[in-house]
Amino acid sequence: MITIDSINDWFVQNFGALTLEQVKGWFIYNPEEKLLFNTGLFLGLFLVFYFVYAFLRKTFYLRLTYVILFSLFFYYKSSGIYFLLLLLSSVVDYGLSQIIYNESVKTRKKIYLIISVILNLGLLGYFKYMNFMIVTYNDMFHGNFELHDIFLPVGISFYTFQSMSYIIEIYREEIKPTKNYIEYLFFVSFFPQLVAGPIVRAKDFLPQIYQKLNLTKADVNNALFLIIGGLIKKTVISNYISVNFVDRVFDTPMSYTSFENLMASYGYAIQIYCDFSGYSDMAIGIALLLGFKLPANFRTPYKSVSITDFWRRWHISLSTWLKDFLYISIGGNREGTFAGFLFPSLFFFGLLLWGITNSAESIIPLVIAVGGIVVFCLSFLLSSKLKQTMVTNFNLFTTMLLGGLWHGAGAQFIIWGALHGLALAVHKIFVELFPSKKESNGLSTIWKFFSIVLTFHFVVFCWIFFRAKDFDTAIQVINNIGQLTFEPDHWQTIILGYKNVFLLMLFGYVWHFLPEVVTAKMKLIFDKTPLIGKAIVLGFVYWIVYATAVAGSQPFIYFQF
Amino acid sequence: MNTKSYFFQSFAIVALAFVAFIGFKQILPDKIFPESKVDSKNVLVDSLLLESFEKESVSKKGDSADADKQAQQNIVFNSNEGIEFPSETFDDYKGYQYLISFYDKLYQLEKHPEAKVRIAYYGDSMTDGDLIVQDVRNNYQERFGGTGVGFVSISSESSASRASVKSLSSKNWKAQSYLNVKKPLSPFGVNGHVFFANDKSNTTWVSYEAGLSKFATSLDNPTLYYGKSSKSGKVNFIIGKDTISKNLAPNNLVNTIKVTSKSVKGFKANFVHADSIPIYGFNFDNGRGVHVDNFSQRGNSGMPISIFDANVMQSFNANLKYDLIILHYGTNVLNYGTKNYSWYGKGMTKAVNKIKASFPGVSILIISTADKSTKYDMQMKTDSAVVPLVKAQKRYALETESGFVNLYTLMGGDGSMVKWVDEVPARANKDYTHFNQRGAKAIGGLLYEQLNKGYEQYKVLREKREAGIKKGKTVRKTNTDSMSVINDSVDE
Repeated sequence: MITIDSINDWFVQNFGALTLEQVKGWFIYNPEEKLLFNTGLFLGLFLVFYFVYAFLRKTFYLRLTYVILFSLFFYYKSSGIYFLLLLLSSVVDYGLSQIIYNESVKTRKKIYLIISVILNLGLLGYFKYMNFMIVTYNDMFHGNFELHDIFLPVGISFYTFQSMSYIIEIYREEIKPTKNYIEYLFFVSFFPQLVAGPIVRAKDFLPQIYQKLNLTKADVNNALFLIIGGLIKKTVISNYISVNFVDRVFDTPMSYTSFENLMASYGYAIQIYCDFSGYSDMAIGIALLLGFKLPANFRTPYKSVSITDFWRRWHISLSTWLKDFLYISIGGNREGTFAGFLFPSLFFFGLLLWGITNSAESIIPLVIAVGGIVVFCLSFLLSSKLKQTMVTNFNLFTTMLLGGLWHGAGAQFIIWGALHGLALAVHKIFVELFPSKKESNGLSTIWKFFSIVLTFHFVVFCWIFFRAKDFDTAIQVINNIGQLTFEPDHWQTIILGYKNVFLLMLFGYVWHFLPEVVTAKMKLIFDKTPLIGKAIVLGFVYWIVYATAVAGSQPFIYFQF
Repeated sequence: MNTKSYFFQSFAIVALAFVAFIGFKQILPDKIFPESKVDSKNVLVDSLLLESFEKESVSKKGDSADADKQAQQNIVFNSNEGIEFPSETFDDYKGYQYLISFYDKLYQLEKHPEAKVRIAYYGDSMTDGDLIVQDVRNNYQERFGGTGVGFVSISSESSASRASVKSLSSKNWKAQSYLNVKKPLSPFGVNGHVFFANDKSNTTWVSYEAGLSKFATSLDNPTLYYGKSSKSGKVNFIIGKDTISKNLAPNNLVNTIKVTSKSVKGFKANFVHADSIPIYGFNFDNGRGVHVDNFSQRGNSGMPISIFDANVMQSFNANLKYDLIILHYGTNVLNYGTKNYSWYGKGMTKAVNKIKASFPGVSILIISTADKSTKYDMQMKTDSAVVPLVKAQKRYALETESGFVNLYTLMGGDGSMVKWVDEVPARANKDYTHFNQRGAKAIGGLLYEQLNKGYEQYKVLREKREAGIKKGKTVRKTNTDSMSVINDSVDE
């Protein structure tokens, strides 16, 4: 017989005894436990939220307010009191956007735009780059300014860019402003993409607010398929290989063999893809469950045949944002501007200085510095349209430098951006000098394969700088890989030692490189599965996430050869 | 129908999935990734550790009841040369009393700057790459003088990560380590390793270059240490453009050859026809002040020290004259799923006794394991084995009359490793076990601080004694072995 007690016992057995403290913990900000999509707490909260949301589907302002409140709570759970910052900046941005829209004098419009850009970037700059600037200044001029004790509010880079897109699009008269503040706040604070993107553009999102809310079976299928994939990518592949292998090697590369360093580099490439794209997919999927369609953010980027292609497939919402609002603003491929020339010049000057100061110890830094400058200059000197190519390349390089810096305050991100900027320039001149012939035969297949391998390896090489905690560590990893010798039996021992990690890496890469026909087939089968079957599949994925989360970390292995 | 709203079906799927998850949780195993034991000759494992764990883990239960009683009991020290540190509790045990001979040597050094004091720091992967040790060394050399990094092996798994001295060696050395070899071809050196230049067709070489440490910007008095053999051999030292050729005369248990009496930036040593001669390494010191040797060996539990050859060690000691031996271990015995460490205590007691036999009269300091975190229910917390291990380490420190540093409480106690890892900038690595450069520097500072606190206290006590002597005569004791709680002295 089922009694209250037996139900209670079953509950305690499966979920543990519930205390008032725990329930409080669900609703109070805890810096150690962020509310991520892949946590059990989010699932629980979302279930309750979603149930009510379904009933509100036919209302408008009630529904918007309801989502806003949940979004603010979601943000509060991630950043505590800083949800007020989100509110404050949205009030200011909304006010400025109204002024810009209503202002008819072009120059005044521009002044308000500049004020808003300065405010937004100033906010981002303070929270994200203040300490970096102090450290850089102290290092360069032997200053000793105190560091500020700054908390980096979660997602500030994303929502700042999002509100900037709104204002700039109003300035460019590409969109009309929202009717009121509630609608605007809904756009800025929409929780699926609030903390980690994708960066949703006002012109893509705002029209959806005014449409009649609708959710079809196909939408739900797409959403669940994205969420399942995202959960596996983010929590299983990315988290497991980073904690159990990649982090360890990048912490102290010299304590590991060359092969382990190489594998950690490949491992990081799949880790960061699964991390970024997995979280994006979950965000897009959750937004879709609420009836909002966000654009795709990643399209199997390691299948790219060139670095230009890579940037059309990697973090698309960021690269289009940078293209539309940074690259075009500083002149694009039309004209050279002061800003467009400033940053690359500063960078190459710094590079040269670094080469000269280190030339006493080794000639290599100087060779790299001069080499980099020569390659960059050749990328437009060899072009038939010299002036235009030069302008384009400088503006592109600026975009990549600043885009690199957007990922984090650190020299390694600047280097990462510079490498990509240089590669883009080189690829452009290569295409101009050796235009591809439009014929498909065996040779072009081989050429395509070769291009993919080359692009992939260049990207992996750049990730080393992106991941390493500083420049020296990156050089250690690269030097260590340089000493790799062909010793298959050693490799086998290492692979067996980290069996789980290597299996997951393999799984990640195989999944990534699966032909689209196969993924489409999988999707088709999923679509045809009955409702209950989908629930079981999703439940099984929940279990995988849970089991991975509780899995202990792999003990240390020291190899000696 | 395509246009019909699908919200409630959508909700149903997500909710039913939750029910399915509860079902899966009931029937499926808890862990998704099997923890496979790696079994291979290429993995570095302490063989003595495995043996004694297997032998002892079956036999008996722990003695936790005794330990609780012990915790608050007073430990009263008997005076040594008229100096007696105040009594301590087991909980708080530091054992400065047993470091008196080391403190005395430091005191002499402070009075006579041309004197010298030498410390051997044995450790596991925590001290790889000279982490922690270089910071202890810097602290001592800053205050008491001395330059040089001390004794350096021919090669080690971690030499690439060492910045205080750069060393490279050819791949054709035959190396044996006390970690996994019980009966070496020739006895192990003070570093626990022995190397042979057995390759007859190619030269076997090693080169050293001074690193960037504040007190080791050059290699002072580089001296080769090698052992006994029936054959003789040759070694060519290359300094810049000069080559100095020397004969190896392996007549004694331990022999030395000075490369040069000058301070050099770097040199290379080519061994020719030196097969079967045990080569140990090079010593770099300026002959005055404090010198600290780093004998790190990743994977080590500390127990392999018990297989040292005491005679060979005494010969090393005749040259190097150690005043303090530090044993910093524990990390590698945390992952054995046990909380009963009596087997480890036994093994380490043997190791400490071997140290005593090898370096007569030396002070010994035991450093406990640091905090280490493990995942419990999705959260990283202090591993449940840490506290029992620290207790066991404290016990054998006390029983063998060694000083003790509780590194676990020193770095912050429960949950401190999580903090050190999460801090910005981080002070420990994501493995929740090892410190990074920044953290190691902090640890080195904390260790020095505790040792120095004892030294300052020693100086006060010493002054009191001097004052006492002026008043009347003191009782002189010849033996230090006496303690009121436990009297357990083991002799080999």
